[in-house]
Amino acid sequence: MVLTNEPPVREVTPTPPPRRRTSRLGDRGLAALFISPAMLLLLAMSVFPLLWALTLSFTNYSATSSAPAEFVGFANYAEILTSPAVRQRALTTLVYVVGAVTLQTVLGFGIAYLISRRERGRGLLTTVFLVPMMLSPVVVGLFWRFMLDAQFGVVNSLLTSVGLQPVEWLTRQETAMISLIVVDTWQWTPFIMLIALAGLTAVPRYLYEAASIDRASEWFRFRNITLPLVWPLLLIAVMFRAIEAFRLFDLVYILTNGGPGVSTETLSFHVYKVAFLGFNTGTASAYGILMVVVVIVLAQIYLRYLNKLKED
Amino acid sequence: MRSERRAGRRSLPVRQARLATTAVAAAVATATVLGACGGGGGGTAEAGGATAPATVPELTDEPLTLSFIWFEWPPAQALEDFANAEYTTERPNVTVEVNTVPNANWHDAMFTQFAARQTDFDIAILDSQHIGEAVTNGNIVELTEFIEGNIETDAFDPYLLAAYGQYPQAETGKRDESAKTWDEMIAVAEQCQADNPGVSGLAFHQANGSDAAAVTYNTVNGLYGGNLWDAASRQIDGVLNDEAGHRAMDVLVNEMKPLTAAGSGNWFIDEVNAAVAQGKACIAFNWIAASGGLLDPEQSTLGATREEILDTLGFATLPTQETDLVPLGGMGMHVSAYAAAEHQAEALNFMKWFLQEDTQKKWAAAGGVPSRTDALESPEFLEAGPFNQVYADSVSRMRDMWNVPEYARLVDIENTSVNAALNGAMDPREALDTIAVEQQQILDSSGSGGL
Repeated sequence: MVLTNEPPVREVTPTPPPRRRTSRLGDRGLAALFISPAMLLLLAMSVFPLLWALTLSFTNYSATSSAPAEFVGFANYAEILTSPAVRQRALTTLVYVVGAVTLQTVLGFGIAYLISRRERGRGLLTTVFLVPMMLSPVVVGLFWRFMLDAQFGVVNSLLTSVGLQPVEWLTRQETAMISLIVVDTWQWTPFIMLIALAGLTAVPRYLYEAASIDRASEWFRFRNITLPLVWPLLLIAVMFRAIEAFRLFDLVYILTNGGPGVSTETLSFHVYKVAFLGFNTGTASAYGILMVVVVIVLAQIYLRYLNKLKED
Repeated sequence: MRSERRAGRRSLPVRQARLATTAVAAAVATATVLGACGGGGGGTAEAGGATAPATVPELTDEPLTLSFIWFEWPPAQALEDFANAEYTTERPNVTVEVNTVPNANWHDAMFTQFAARQTDFDIAILDSQHIGEAVTNGNIVELTEFIEGNIETDAFDPYLLAAYGQYPQAETGKRDESAKTWDEMIAVAEQCQADNPGVSGLAFHQANGSDAAAVTYNTVNGLYGGNLWDAASRQIDGVLNDEAGHRAMDVLVNEMKPLTAAGSGNWFIDEVNAAVAQGKACIAFNWIAASGGLLDPEQSTLGATREEILDTLGFATLPTQETDLVPLGGMGMHVSAYAAAEHQAEALNFMKWFLQEDTQKKWAAAGGVPSRTDALESPEFLEAGPFNQVYADSVSRMRDMWNVPEYARLVDIENTSVNAALNGAMDPREALDTIAVEQQQILDSSGSGGL
């Protein structure tokens, strides 16, 4: 080894060439580039129509009319909010949402709970239960319409075969709403079941083991372990289903056409009639905006409750 | 408004059923051509669309497809077949297409295209409730001058040519010869139902969609001396729901409805025909133009041949009661305001051709229902189908409905509440009063708003 007092010579590295201005994008630019197609699509397909509908809601615009639209201020909103017809449809929708979502939640959670306790065949059972959810609501509506037909429907055939009276499922006020709820429940219970099953399988096993050691009863384990841990997830599923049920249109259109009379005419179906029967586009736009506002407000209240639940 | 009875009315062609178990009542409906606007008092809105020239413009020699839009039913295919067989002999470069959609989507299929100001059809066959909307929006071409210059208007019953006008609704039924009145017809249906377990006495339109239940009520309303409105004063409340109107609603809900099949509260054209074809109804009411399939042995359990079916099945006009009026129903051809100029010209030429006497007779012979009086009275028509005499006899008994642009909303209100009354969701008296009040509001507000 040779020692020297000379200061170390730093290897001269060549000065990097001045950074050339290239067309390369930075991270932010790349991020913007990648999300821009989705953003543009969102703007074009959701935001713009929403803003356009908002604009139209303050006019008497009719899509089929050659007459120019006139600004009417909040007249459309006032008409909707003071209309007894709208109040009646809102009540019908509320009955439907509460009935359908409650039934779906109870059944969906029950099925998920039973499936979660099985060790074998769980995957197959889950797949089978999910089939209705994969069908188009229009297809579901059509075949349920045949099944519920009072004359030749399979449901009434079953009833009469066991000595019961046939029922006019779709043409009586007392049964038409029940039929809608049953059909919607048949199709969408699997959704609740799926979410609940995800929650149930995520519950740590050691909690149950500890409870077993303490000789906790089945009911105690369900009430104090299962339900509290699955509850938040279940509530999210309920929110999704409630929003979906709130804008129910297709099943009503196929099964009852809103009848008898207007007894199964939901808000969405009524908006359709306002929008397309007479092409009162301005009024229908205001109606749609109000429905969006209602959903947003209710969803916000619900989410706050969920957050509070989570914090607790 | 009640139409005055026409002079020269023919006797009712009630045919005696050899096997008096099943009969069909039919109302007439078919497509011919109507002026798109003008005439027919009561309308308040101005037409805002294009106007057809007084004569047919120069036609193209290039290949051209003339497109119609209609709802899915047998006359649509019949019209396409007839036009391609006959019109092409005069215009070999033209192909006619009659595009169809399900009845429930018919209005939306046309008017969403009108909203886009672009149509894939040149001729729209509009139902009664569509015409006012299309006229006031300017979606169809005004044909008044064209009709005056090219169509022999004297050759038509005025109701078959008037703007907003439609067709006569006839009622037929293979009922007992002695059943001349509506009350007697109900009694016959009741007896038939009692004598034939599993067979309902009556079958008629009750559905919540289109104008199904409304036209049924209008039929009974007219026959029991009721009126839909007073056209001069534009008054509905107090007119529709007068004593005669309530009596008609009571007959419909409490005397006729109990004779129908369970669950028939959503029946329309197809369901009523199916009940007849399967021998499940003693007397039924349907559009005549939709009745052709009833004679098809492949679609019927009433007989192995057309003759066997006709042994069991007959057709007749509506019985009378307080009046002999029958309501209107039907459709007409209208030229899209958004079709290309050469297509509009071809459409006008087609309509001019279609309304000539010999064409109308050929159309009748081909199974269609013509609108010219001479064609209606011709052997070609009367001998073409067992129900055609019913149509011809019904023309002189027609009465109009509301000839106003708000027609669609008026009929929707009526349809909804009559359907509710028929299905127990509303008291009949309350239903009629509700209809009257809501319809009056529509007329008074001249159709503003949309709720």
